[in-house]
Amino acid sequence: MPIPILQGTLDLMILRTLATMGPQHAYGIASRLQQVSEEALNLNQGSIYPALVRIEQHGWTRGSWGRTENNREAKYYTITRAGFKALNEETQRWRQMAAVVEKLLTEEP
Amino acid sequence: MAHWRRIVAKLRSLLANKRAEDDLAREIASHLTLLADEFERGGMSPEEAQLAARRAFGGVEQAKQAHRDERSPLWVEQAIQDLRYGLRTLCKSPGFTITALLTLALGIGACTAIFSLVNAVLIRSLPYGDPGRLVYLYTPNRQFKLPDEVFGPAYRDFYDLKRDSHSFQNMTAFGQSVFSLASPGAAERASVARVDGEFFRTFQSTPELGREISSDDNQLGHENVAVISHALWQSMFGSTADILHRSLLLDGKNYQIVGVMPQGFEYPHSTDLAYGESQYKTTQVWVPLALTPQQTVDRDNSSANAVARLNPGVSIARAQAEMATIMARLDKLHQMKGWGGLVENFVDSTIGQVRSLLWLLLGAVSIVLMIASGNAANLLLARAAGRVRELGVRVALGAGRSRIVRQLITEALLIGLAAGTIGVAFAYLFLRVLPRLNPGNIPRLNEASLDMRVLLFTIAVSLLTSALTGVFPALAVSRINLTDFLASAGSRSVAGAHTRVQSALIVVESALVVVLLASAGLLIRSYMNVESVDTGFSQSTVTVNIGLDPRYGHPQAVGFFRNLFLRLQALPGVETVGAVSSLPLSNSEDLRMFVVDGYPNQNTQLAEVRWMTPNYFSAMRIPLIAGRLFTADEKPGAHTIIINQSFARKYFAGRNPIGGRVSRQDDPTRWNTVVGVVGDVRHTSLEEPAEPQIYEPDMEFEGGYITIRSSLPAKSLAANVRAILHSLDPNLAAGDIQTMGDLESEASARRRFQTSLLSVFAAIALFLALVGLYGLMAYTVSRRTNEVGIRMALGAQRSDVVLLVVKKAAFLLALGLVSGLVATWFVTRAIQAFLFGIGRHDPTTILSVCGLLAVSGVIAAMIPARRAAFIDPMQALRAE
Repeated sequence: MPIPILQGTLDLMILRTLATMGPQHAYGIASRLQQVSEEALNLNQGSIYPALVRIEQHGWTRGSWGRTENNREAKYYTITRAGFKALNEETQRWRQMAAVVEKLLTEEP
Repeated sequence: MAHWRRIVAKLRSLLANKRAEDDLAREIASHLTLLADEFERGGMSPEEAQLAARRAFGGVEQAKQAHRDERSPLWVEQAIQDLRYGLRTLCKSPGFTITALLTLALGIGACTAIFSLVNAVLIRSLPYGDPGRLVYLYTPNRQFKLPDEVFGPAYRDFYDLKRDSHSFQNMTAFGQSVFSLASPGAAERASVARVDGEFFRTFQSTPELGREISSDDNQLGHENVAVISHALWQSMFGSTADILHRSLLLDGKNYQIVGVMPQGFEYPHSTDLAYGESQYKTTQVWVPLALTPQQTVDRDNSSANAVARLNPGVSIARAQAEMATIMARLDKLHQMKGWGGLVENFVDSTIGQVRSLLWLLLGAVSIVLMIASGNAANLLLARAAGRVRELGVRVALGAGRSRIVRQLITEALLIGLAAGTIGVAFAYLFLRVLPRLNPGNIPRLNEASLDMRVLLFTIAVSLLTSALTGVFPALAVSRINLTDFLASAGSRSVAGAHTRVQSALIVVESALVVVLLASAGLLIRSYMNVESVDTGFSQSTVTVNIGLDPRYGHPQAVGFFRNLFLRLQALPGVETVGAVSSLPLSNSEDLRMFVVDGYPNQNTQLAEVRWMTPNYFSAMRIPLIAGRLFTADEKPGAHTIIINQSFARKYFAGRNPIGGRVSRQDDPTRWNTVVGVVGDVRHTSLEEPAEPQIYEPDMEFEGGYITIRSSLPAKSLAANVRAILHSLDPNLAAGDIQTMGDLESEASARRRFQTSLLSVFAAIALFLALVGLYGLMAYTVSRRTNEVGIRMALGAQRSDVVLLVVKKAAFLLALGLVSGLVATWFVTRAIQAFLFGIGRHDPTTILSVCGLLAVSGVIAAMIPARRAAFIDPMQALRAE
């Protein structure tokens, strides 16, 4: 049973993908997410679009049109300096959050 | 930071919406291609690969919509759609749009104009530091039954108060004088304020050039310095830079100019002091008060004007309590007892008198605006009914009701804001005309302008109007019943509900009109009453105020005037030349306490006293009632006086006043003999009955008002007078040459102002309401064409059809009239204070108002009624 995406985590995952893989198009990002999650995520490829426009409007990525190796046109997203900063902050926040939740879950009553 | 950036991006995407859409479509297409490529590489056929790609991608439209929702703020996008749609529909029916626009623009314009007045006069702060802490100080003596504001403190009391009080940060005493101000080639009369060293500090106003008048300047021997106004610096000195090296000639004495006040500081204005110099609107020169040692210790002449600034945190009530305590102590030192202390709010004194007038006007324009909104709402309603088919189809196709309501409100907003813009233009025109309407005694009226606050007000009013206008149609339309609509094939399922709302609006409008018309009617009747007041003097008498400067000693002055009288008398057409110490309606007079022989005298009896030459009564056509007038050989030692009818009625009731004896209270044994009784004259104001009056002969007239009765037109006589004055003394300062009619007209200017404005508003309101009534009737007729056709086919006469329509109009009008009369009964309480010689329920006025509305209403309804009567039944039936 695939798990739904936790609210607000998609932005972080996309930023992280772009930071590690360099400029990517929407298809590349979506495929990467599915691959990493080993199909555990309930993710239509189309459902990353709102997140893409959101982070672009925040100024965390910049989009530009380019060509793939197979000479197909595609819109490539590049993470910006502000994007790296946001990624750092979001990562921190996620870790803290996850740690708190984990601690609560493992703590003896 | 990132947050606002996102908002900007969202808004930008709205502007570049098409490009963003294209970009998105292209990106999704490329995404699908890449996916399909991948599936093909996995061994699928191209068709299979494309299907698989779509499956993997999910809903394309959903992704697009999610993208859109994320990309741009939803409500803005829809609002823009509504706006576009609204503009398009409004442009499609220009007749409707223009009518609604102009109606609302008229209402909003009137509101804006009056609010700009309210803003200038009541809201905008006075330019005296923190004016809320300024107060006037008085030492009233209630025994005299005179207004408290007559009693400024005596100087001795003032200085004792200043020494002993702790409530005030600053206290200043000042006086007013009229000086002859010599300017190159001529001389003019100027109102000069004589101020102590703390005057400018109290008002927290500093000169724009030079320095203020200091305490040192107030030492005797140092007092020949002057501070001038910005206006005088411009007009007399051409704004010269070396103004501080110039001097002024005031009453023949040289005053070194030490400072120039900034524009806007011209205190005291004629409207500031209830009992000050009222002939000169502003103060142009300030000189030191420079009290003599005798004046400083004088406790009995209540003569100064006193203004103080409260210490921070001190309330008026606390200052009042302190002042009352100190005055209770000082009262014991007075010869006459009964002096108290009074602290009055400065701002209230300055504008309090016109506050109610301005609120009245604002109330009146609000009613006009409400009627205008009602009309516009009716127009929208009528149109919505015409659009039932369109709106019904939209509802049937699944448009949300809220969306349709929003659509209608957007249209109302468009009309409201456009009307607001036109309204501002109307208000601008009004402000251009305003100086001509200025009655002269409303402070700062000419400073009315369309500033930021006024524009914000207009925007608020426009929005409010739009809401009022839009809410009725929106409610009506949201009640469209889909089943009924479809069942009746979309014709007129909501028409009934509509006309009920519309009729209710018409009833409310006519009720409001009744209120306005009645108020205007009562004010007009009051104005007519004031105009027909018997002033007791002739309006055509020409007057001029002449004061000689100290170059003239007493004998020279007397000689000058004797000569002047002879020269004037010799002018062809001149009948009589008289002179008096102070004219009626000129706001200046002397009051005297007196004793009447053979009357139970009280020690607070006051009468006005005027000194005049024997010809004064004849020049003013004041009639002799009994006894004789003064003659040219009246002996100064004979102590003869003339009294007016009011005096005779009160103090010689049942006796013959001629030969009666009157003396001054402070010199009770020197009796004056009454030789004549003359008619009452309205001296103080047109609206106050005459007070007891004593006239004394002045055989050695040396300054005051000359009064001339002649058969010449006032203009040419004025030119002659001016020429004679110039030939006698080219350096002489003479005041304006006016007829008594001019003075009378000035005295009724405020009433004329309020009456004409309110009448104009009432007329606009009536017009709007009639347009509304006509519109509703025309609409009803057009909706009922079919019914009328059937009635006529069944044998109804044309007159029956007319009656059918007019009867409905008459019913609405009658309802409006009755509710309007009920409202009027209560509302006229607000204008009670503005009425003169008429009750607020005056039946004649109320009946005329009802008649006017009924007749004009029926006429407005007749036009569509006649149209209905000429409906061709055949055509009407076929049209269905």
